[in-house]
Amino acid sequence: MKPNMPLVTLLAGAALGVGVLIASILSPSSAASASGYGATPAASATGAVKPAPASSAPGGAGGASGAAPATTSASTPGTVPASTPGTAPATAPGTVPTATASVPKADVPPKADYVARTDSGGAAVAISVHAGKAVAYMCNGHAVAAWLRGTAKAGKLELTGKNGARLDVSYRTGKATGSIMADGTKYAFSAPLVHGGSSGHRPPGLYEATAMVHGVPIKAGWVVLPGGGQVGSVEYFPGSDIAPTAQAPVLDLTTGTAQYDGVTLVASLISGLTGSGF
Amino acid sequence: MTAQPDASPPAPVDVSLGIGKLIVPSLIGGLVALTLGIYGGLHHPAGVVVSIPGFTSAGYVKSWLATIATVFAIVQVISALVMYGKIPRVTAPSWIGTLHQWSGRIAFLVAVPVAINCLYGLGFQTYSTRVLLHSLFGCAFFGAFTIKMLILPKRGLPGWTLPLAGAVVFTLLIGIWFTSAFWFFSTFGLHH
Repeated sequence: MKPNMPLVTLLAGAALGVGVLIASILSPSSAASASGYGATPAASATGAVKPAPASSAPGGAGGASGAAPATTSASTPGTVPASTPGTAPATAPGTVPTATASVPKADVPPKADYVARTDSGGAAVAISVHAGKAVAYMCNGHAVAAWLRGTAKAGKLELTGKNGARLDVSYRTGKATGSIMADGTKYAFSAPLVHGGSSGHRPPGLYEATAMVHGVPIKAGWVVLPGGGQVGSVEYFPGSDIAPTAQAPVLDLTTGTAQYDGVTLVASLISGLTGSGF
Repeated sequence: MTAQPDASPPAPVDVSLGIGKLIVPSLIGGLVALTLGIYGGLHHPAGVVVSIPGFTSAGYVKSWLATIATVFAIVQVISALVMYGKIPRVTAPSWIGTLHQWSGRIAFLVAVPVAINCLYGLGFQTYSTRVLLHSLFGCAFFGAFTIKMLILPKRGLPGWTLPLAGAVVFTLLIGIWFTSAFWFFSTFGLHH
């Protein structure tokens, strides 16, 4: 009797599928699958979140912080106050590169945090340098978000991230200047050194939060600018290479939390000054 | 199809008998689609997929495999049109059946690992229109393909069944490709 070839095809496919599934389950990398499942069932609040004011500023000419809307205009490179930051984590004040004016331009800080909007594209970048290592994040509050890591050497950063993301920056005590390539687009920026915040508020800088929402792992990132502006994005499946990205909810700078689809996100600061988050 | 009352002539009864042969394959295909969807919905997505050397990321591996499957699926439609004599001034060569069978087998077998990766790593998701459509198309595709394979060896079916089944399978695959690989390449760039 002639074999039923279509059935053979189906069964071959089924066998292949089972084989790939077993290989995936046995793969060591899949051990990363989520602690913290059983996430809070979300309330029906989808889409209720209002965006941060970020996207309204596609920027333009001028310095990064100068192109930002009025909320961020308080910060000008070089005018960072030298006083001890109110809510900044308690490091020895001596190690903090505070007085921008009094140090030579070529001085390279071992620990520093930089934050700025990009010159164009309505995105923002945060860079944290700590003891030879660096973490950077950029996002535009919509579809573009990139986490980058790498080493800091002699005032130069060459950080890389997923899907071809790349950051090239030279940094000094006063500011970090360079560009970031994300999602196939190059964004230039000049980011002043930041630290400290007003009393009772989280300081400007780089924040992240991870959570399970509807059973899906998410990672949110916020660039909080001096003066209170912020740009944030949420990545779904941050562990995978396919990480669809959406707008982040507004990060409440008094509580350090944000509400996303009925789940409370607790943000933690990635700080070059203290090394937290490294 | 229920039995017709006396008024109906014999011919429609034959047709309904032919259509009756579709019931079991359709039920099995529906079961396949449901099983995939329910597994994808219940299984906790691992979020991590096996990486393959030579590719930037698993997303590119999946996108290229999906593209290969889609190219073979286009071969499927063209060879089917030739077999059915639907392309003017082209007579079906003797090897067209073999081409149709093997392009179909390759497309299916290439699509399987992608689907398993999706179901195991990402699951059935609904958080955007694209993702919802992709999840639905993906499950429906394997159900529709199962139906087509199961009715293929059957004789006495109405002439439109195989072309319809093939068209549904092809349309679903194109939908899958647009909601995944096309989106991925246009978002992250066309390379590997």
